[in-house]
Amino acid sequence: MEAEAAKLIGAGLAMIGAIGAGAGIGVVTSGAVQAMSRNPEMTGTIQTNMILGIAFAEAVAIYCLVVSLLILFVF
Amino acid sequence: MSEKPMKRVWARWVVLAAIILGLFLFTGFFGIGLGIKPIMPHVYLPGEKLSETPLFGIAGLYPTNTLVGLLLADIVVILIAIGVSRGVKSGKTVLTGISGAVEALLEMLHGITEGTAGKWTKQIFPWFATITLLVLAANWSGLIPGNETVGLIHHYDHGYDLKQVGPITTIWDEGTDDGEHHGEYAIVPFLRPVSTDLNFTFALAIVAVVMIQVFGFRSQGLGYLTKFWNTKTLFSKPIFGVIDFGVGILELVSEISKVLSFAFRLFGNMFAGAVLLFVIGSLVPVFAQSMFYLLEFFIGLIQAIVFGMLTMVFMSQATQGHGEHHEEAH
Repeated sequence: MEAEAAKLIGAGLAMIGAIGAGAGIGVVTSGAVQAMSRNPEMTGTIQTNMILGIAFAEAVAIYCLVVSLLILFVF
Repeated sequence: MSEKPMKRVWARWVVLAAIILGLFLFTGFFGIGLGIKPIMPHVYLPGEKLSETPLFGIAGLYPTNTLVGLLLADIVVILIAIGVSRGVKSGKTVLTGISGAVEALLEMLHGITEGTAGKWTKQIFPWFATITLLVLAANWSGLIPGNETVGLIHHYDHGYDLKQVGPITTIWDEGTDDGEHHGEYAIVPFLRPVSTDLNFTFALAIVAVVMIQVFGFRSQGLGYLTKFWNTKTLFSKPIFGVIDFGVGILELVSEISKVLSFAFRLFGNMFAGAVLLFVIGSLVPVFAQSMFYLLEFFIGLIQAIVFGMLTMVFMSQATQGHGEHHEEAH
């Protein structure tokens, strides 16, 4: 039972990394929205780059998620 | 003239809303009154085997439910292709129905590719569109009702009890209040979206990254290798040359980490989405899951576009050499 408890705690701890991804996505989106409001003609390009940036920032959170899913359901 | 159709549309909405509300009330009040409780299915990370005999007699190749999901996604993509080619051959200038929708999607993707890839658009766009359509079909196949809930019943130590409801055999929580399950059965679903299988996402990621290198070699020949083994400035500029060499080695590492990042991004998003739907459905029996269903719809679309778009951006970066890009900037 103790190993089970340690697994649950570990899975929770692994998700702490999502903090950074959340902050990163916020920074990317705020920058993109500012750029779009200053320069509405560039909206298409900015949106493409914004989605790319979000995808990169989000990848880090997804690594955390995969680690915690592996801890919970595989080991 | 516009009065009558408007009325009909409203009547349809009212009837729909009444049906949905009735279902909610039935499951919400009478269902719980009758002892029907939502259960949390057991979560299983690799694709589950539908049969214990290997396919074609090859050891280790089992018919898993994610394989069924892959076949479904492939069939959907092929049917869309047939439908679109029929629509194009019909000679209409304005495409309607499914071919019109596909045209709108592909036009958007083509616009993005043109903005990034420039003169390589014609070569890169098919990869972008193919990956996006396949991943989109795979992701949205997870939203089909009955998927991940209809399947074979098998023995599982921490499962639920069996119960016969009319013609259907189902797993059933007998409702002990101590929070422990005592049954011994679980369901292996017939169909599971293929993007929740790490094998599929890894295979797709390896294909994408290998093709990125192929585009690099096609555009720059063997000079593409200097991106990874950069000795051009090693002796002419002593300190920065060494740094350039180190950056080249780092580029090699980043190509490998691209595979990991592609594979885990898609897998993590889609698997976590499936688990999220399970958990929400087991907590709140009615209505709450519908909201997350909509969220999964958007996440499926966004992840498909992100996978394709990252492939496209990396491919167009590989076609623009380091030095060439530098000269353009000045």
